[in-house]
Amino acid sequence: MLDVGRHPNIDLLAYSEVEKVEGEAGAFKVTVRKKARYVDASKCTGCGACSETCPTIVPDAYEEGLGSRKAIYPLFAQGIPSTRTIDPDYCRQLNGKKCGICAKTCQADAVDFEQKDQILELDVASIIVAAGYDVFDPSRIPEYRFQEIPNVVTAIQFERLLSASGPTGGHVDRPSDLAVEAEIEELEKKATKSAKTLARYEEKHGEDSKTFYGKFLSGEYDDEDHKKWAEKYEDHLTITESLETMKKKAEAFGSAKKLAFIQCVGSRDFRFYPFCSGYCCMHSIKEAIIANEHEPETRSTIFGMDIRAVGKGFEEYKIRGGNKSGITYVRGRVAEITEGPDHNPVVIYEDTRERKVKSEEFEMVVLATACAPSKSVVELSRIVGFELDDYQFVKTSPLSPVDSTVPGVFVCGCAESPMDVPESVAQASSAAERAAEIAFQEDVEKEKAVA
Amino acid sequence: MSKDVLVIGGGIAGMQSSLDLADMGIKVHLVEKLPSIGGKMAQLDKTFPTNDCAI
Repeated sequence: MLDVGRHPNIDLLAYSEVEKVEGEAGAFKVTVRKKARYVDASKCTGCGACSETCPTIVPDAYEEGLGSRKAIYPLFAQGIPSTRTIDPDYCRQLNGKKCGICAKTCQADAVDFEQKDQILELDVASIIVAAGYDVFDPSRIPEYRFQEIPNVVTAIQFERLLSASGPTGGHVDRPSDLAVEAEIEELEKKATKSAKTLARYEEKHGEDSKTFYGKFLSGEYDDEDHKKWAEKYEDHLTITESLETMKKKAEAFGSAKKLAFIQCVGSRDFRFYPFCSGYCCMHSIKEAIIANEHEPETRSTIFGMDIRAVGKGFEEYKIRGGNKSGITYVRGRVAEITEGPDHNPVVIYEDTRERKVKSEEFEMVVLATACAPSKSVVELSRIVGFELDDYQFVKTSPLSPVDSTVPGVFVCGCAESPMDVPESVAQASSAAERAAEIAFQEDVEKEKAVA
Repeated sequence: MSKDVLVIGGGIAGMQSSLDLADMGIKVHLVEKLPSIGGKMAQLDKTFPTNDCAI
C-alpha cells in the first residue's frame, strides 16, 4: 500500500468515484468525482488529534461494527492516504449543529467545512476494473440467526477479532461479552456523574448522602430539595448495584476457545449463489489455526460438504491444521443454529459419515460467507458499458480471462469471479499487461513505420 | 510516449495492476471509493497458506 502511495507514476484518487466514461480503446474520456473530505489533503499531516477530540461516536464499518470510530476519521490506522475524512452523515457541524471542535484542535489548519466535490476529466488509453466483491449478508439465511444470536459472526468479523490492531487487540472476545463490557463502561460514566451530583448536595447540606437518606426515610425532611436529593441517591444506588453485578459477571469472561466454522454460507446454495466461492475453506482453516496460535487450548470444528484445499501448499495446510491446531473436520451441512445457555450458539447438523443428526454447543460460530458480486461492479457496467455474467460478475471468456466485452476495458480480482489473494495478484499483473499493450500502441506503430 | 491508464478499485488487484503499470513507466490514475486503499485485504489479519501479514 505504501508503494502505491509514493510511486511517482501513480495518481492516487481515493474517496473518488467514476461517473462517466466515453470514447473507445486508446482514447477514453473519463469523468471522476473526487468527493469532499472536508479536510485539506495538502495540509493534513495525519496526526489524528482531530479524531481524539471529536465528540461524535460512529459504528466502525471497517471493524465490521465490532468497534467504533469518530465522525472525523482515518479508514484504518495505517491507511494510505493518511488524510482524515469527515463523515458528512454524522458530523455535527455539517448537519447544522454547533461544533467545529476538530477545526479548533487541528494545528495544521486543515479542516475545511466549505470544501466541495471536485470533478476531474481524465484521458486514458485503457481501463482496468478491479472493483472487488461484496460479502454475502448471512441474515438472508434465517436458520443461522445471524444478528439474533450475538456470538454468531461472519468470517471477516472474526478476522477483525483476531487482528492485533482490531477492536479487541487480537483477543477472541465474544460479542456478547463485549456488549456487557460496553454496558459497564456506560454505567461507570453514569456512576461518576451521579456521584458528582451527590457530592454537590452533600456540600450544600453538610452531611453525607447515606446518613441523610436514613434520616429522610424516617421522615425527617419533606421539602423539595431533599426529596430530589433522595431521588438522586436512589438512582445512584441502582446504578452502582447493577454495575457490581455486571462486573462480577465480567470476571468470568475469557476468549472463546470452542469454535465452530460453517462453510458455504450463501455459496453452493441454490437459494442464493450456486457457485463455489473458492477461498472460504482455506479462510476458515487459516482463522482456526491463528485462533489456536493465540490460545493453544482453542478447539475448532469446521462443518462443510467437503474441504476444497486446491492450491499450492493448501492441502498440507489443511492437514497441519488438523494435526497441530486442534481442528476437526465434520462432513455435514448445518441445518440450524439455536441459542443455548450463556449466549452459546448450538449447532444442529447431520454428520453424514455416521448418518446421524446431532447438536453441539459452541462458544462462538463463524460463518464462511459467500463472495457476492459487487453492487459497484453492476453500477460500473452501466457507466462503462461492459456486460455481466449470469451472477453479475464481469463477463469474460476462457481464452481471454481478463478482457471484458468492451475493447480496452480489462478486469481482475473478485470483480471477475471469486478468487483468493494469490490468484487476484496473478490476474492483476495479467490485466496490467493487457492495458499496457494499448497504452504503448502508438509507440509500437511508430516503430513499425520507421522499420 | 505512452498514454495513461485508469484503474478502478484500490484493493489487492487494483494495487497490483497499478504498481505493474507504473513500473513500466505508464502514468496510472487509481480511483478508490473509500478514504484509503487496501480493500478487503486490509481487513485481513494474516493470509493463507503462509500466515503472512496482510498489510
